[in-house]
Amino acid sequence: MIGRRVQFELATWVAGPALAAFERAKRARRGERSTSQGSPFGPPLESTRRLKELMTTHYLAGRYADGAVPVAWVTSGFPVEILRPLGFHAVYPENHAALCGVQRVVPELSDAIEREGYSRDLCSYARADIGSLTTGKTPVGRLPRPDLLCCCTNICQTVLYWYRTLAAHFRVPLFVLDTPYVYGEAPEHHRQYVRDQLDELVSMAERVAGARITAEELAAVIGVAREGTRLWGQCLEQSRARPAPWTGFDGFFHIAPIVTLRGTEPCNAYYRMLRDELTDRVARGIGGIRNERHRLLWDNLPIWFEVRALSTLLAERGFNFVCTSYTNAWAEAGSKIDPADPLGSAVDAYTHIILNQDLPNRLDVLRRLSRDYSVDGAVLHSDRSCKPYSIGQIDLRQRLARELGFGVLLLEADHGDPRAYSPEQAEGRFAAFMESFS
Amino acid sequence: MRSPYIAQQRAEHGRRAVAVLPVHYPKEILTAMGLLAVEVWGPPGAPVSAGAGRLQPYVCAVVRNALAFLASRRADAVDAALFPHTCDSLQGLATLVKDFGGWSRPALVFQHPRGAERPSSRAYYLRELLALADALAPIAGAPLHVDRLRDAIALHRRIDEARADLLDRRRRLPLDDTALYALLRRGEWLWPEDHLRELSDARAAIRPDSVQRGVPLMITGYVPEPASLFDRLRDAGAVVVADDYAAIGRRVIRPRGPLDLCDPFSALAELYWSAPPCPTCASDQDARMRHLLDLYDRSGAAGVIVHQQKFCEPELFDVAAIRRAFAARGARLLYLEGELERDLSSQATTRLEAFVELAQGKARPR
Repeated sequence: MIGRRVQFELATWVAGPALAAFERAKRARRGERSTSQGSPFGPPLESTRRLKELMTTHYLAGRYADGAVPVAWVTSGFPVEILRPLGFHAVYPENHAALCGVQRVVPELSDAIEREGYSRDLCSYARADIGSLTTGKTPVGRLPRPDLLCCCTNICQTVLYWYRTLAAHFRVPLFVLDTPYVYGEAPEHHRQYVRDQLDELVSMAERVAGARITAEELAAVIGVAREGTRLWGQCLEQSRARPAPWTGFDGFFHIAPIVTLRGTEPCNAYYRMLRDELTDRVARGIGGIRNERHRLLWDNLPIWFEVRALSTLLAERGFNFVCTSYTNAWAEAGSKIDPADPLGSAVDAYTHIILNQDLPNRLDVLRRLSRDYSVDGAVLHSDRSCKPYSIGQIDLRQRLARELGFGVLLLEADHGDPRAYSPEQAEGRFAAFMESFS
Repeated sequence: MRSPYIAQQRAEHGRRAVAVLPVHYPKEILTAMGLLAVEVWGPPGAPVSAGAGRLQPYVCAVVRNALAFLASRRADAVDAALFPHTCDSLQGLATLVKDFGGWSRPALVFQHPRGAERPSSRAYYLRELLALADALAPIAGAPLHVDRLRDAIALHRRIDEARADLLDRRRRLPLDDTALYALLRRGEWLWPEDHLRELSDARAAIRPDSVQRGVPLMITGYVPEPASLFDRLRDAGAVVVADDYAAIGRRVIRPRGPLDLCDPFSALAELYWSAPPCPTCASDQDARMRHLLDLYDRSGAAGVIVHQQKFCEPELFDVAAIRRAFAARGARLLYLEGELERDLSSQATTRLEAFVELAQGKARPR
């Protein structure tokens, strides 16, 4: 235990930063810094280097976390703040699956479990993670074995089935935070239910960690998380400027810390750095793309394996995604948490996630983003792997187009599995969509 | 057939009707309030209106067909629709038709708790039951009366006992699978007392000795559609001796102990957590596998058919575990997947026939 703890601390404080420094030096030698002359993108963000360091260190530390500190596998919408004071190392299978998506290894991982009977119609995040467990293959080296599984239904019910599978695999406790879907307003008994479960979560987490949470520690973490959320929101808001200082697709990658490290100081330090850089770029008129002619909204998760290709295709024609409902969600929910009432405010924050609210709320969010960011078109990613995000999009497309008078493209794809995506068709649809702006 | 029955119930008994989407809901409350529950499992076949086009093709046929059905106004014989929160797709359907059009009558939701039984979920379930009763009161025209709820629970207990008996003593029942499933599924829309009468008649026909000679099979899945599946099984020489369909066997509740009806809401909560494990309620996966294996062993089945609807996430997540569990038991397993077609495809029929032949050699004495 002590040896393991030493390894974990070394990975966190020494090996992680050293590896990141080595990678930095390697990149500097290769001269990756500058953008080539013909690139449609603006100069790369300096903060991206720090992002890579932060995430490298997080995943490296994770390799040594089990046996050193309590480990929880957590869904992205789970109130991780409650676990932080107990010293849990939080692993986000969704973030890991997104990495698998970026590296295009989902088909290989999925194939392995499809042979066992898992359907290709299941969420590709879940297939990637379960496939990673089965094959032992992962782009991050190794994921630590969990002591506790924490799943919140506020993002989808898929996580419920996915984490049941994980619980059967690892044979460790599963805590389901069940947040009833909100139609209009959440009734009082729904709120009370979530509140009661948070008390149960505290008890279970304390039991697994063998420690107690003090009110002061919890309030402190909640304060840090709220500040992190606020900072992330400030980063996103910089794109209200013309030109937007970065692209919405950049945001998909820079979201990682607010998802995986929410409630920690390194997360907040990172977003201060990013915000300052973006503010500076706005002041200097530096855009995420060189020639921003049209500003678009993106709805739903990214197509992780195609982000670069799509952003290039669009940037070359002067189109930039200046806002996305997905990245925005992480700026909204956390802003409701309050150190003065950690658990009570968490009820509001974690119940009112965009995916846990009805379609009129979703339409309101899309309307608001469209206006706040002065967009003149929208792309709704109809994501085969994310039904809660995709159901209703056919109606949303019509309503947005009618109310706001701009073009809306419904794009069929998948957030992780390239086998459910046709680049040629997508390119053709984007070409027609972009032509409609001229 | 359902519309005339709904009209008859309204004319003769003054009962209003509520369309109910799958799967789990406290039917006893509707019965106690004099409301006829008419379940909507699709219906099968091609969507009956263009309304299905408002959902992507990767949404399951049960939900797409239900949207088409509701939007076609063919469900207008009922006074309201109730959407239990079974999955993301049904949850999405509830807001889609309610908020963006497709259903102009009252749309109610029922969100049962998910996950293990805990003090919080039990307290929540009780409050959710009360909230449902309140929401139904304007439709029923009167509030829920507790005595009537006690009576309704007792009535539904008798129905469950009858259904359990028919399933348990399946081999002694002189009905083929097509007739048995048609009988059981009539409970999805008949007034409970009418359904109980039919079940009782069937029970009365149970013979002292086995009359079903086919290859015994167990079946699990979401909904037994297409119904012609059972004709094909019969033609192939098989009989279903154990059922774990979400629409059938998983709704046959055998309480963990004596039911105390002093507080009928607590009794309903007790029934909810006594139900067979179901992925749509996030039941523990290991517990579900134990339940399935126990059902298999008790029934003497010679093989298992896993019959799923394409894109049904709650069910599909358990398929690998089911395969593992039954492989470890040395049981033969056939996986069938459909999209709520009206008939079983020839390809599926051929697979079914081959499976029954293979299972024949594994038939076990019971």
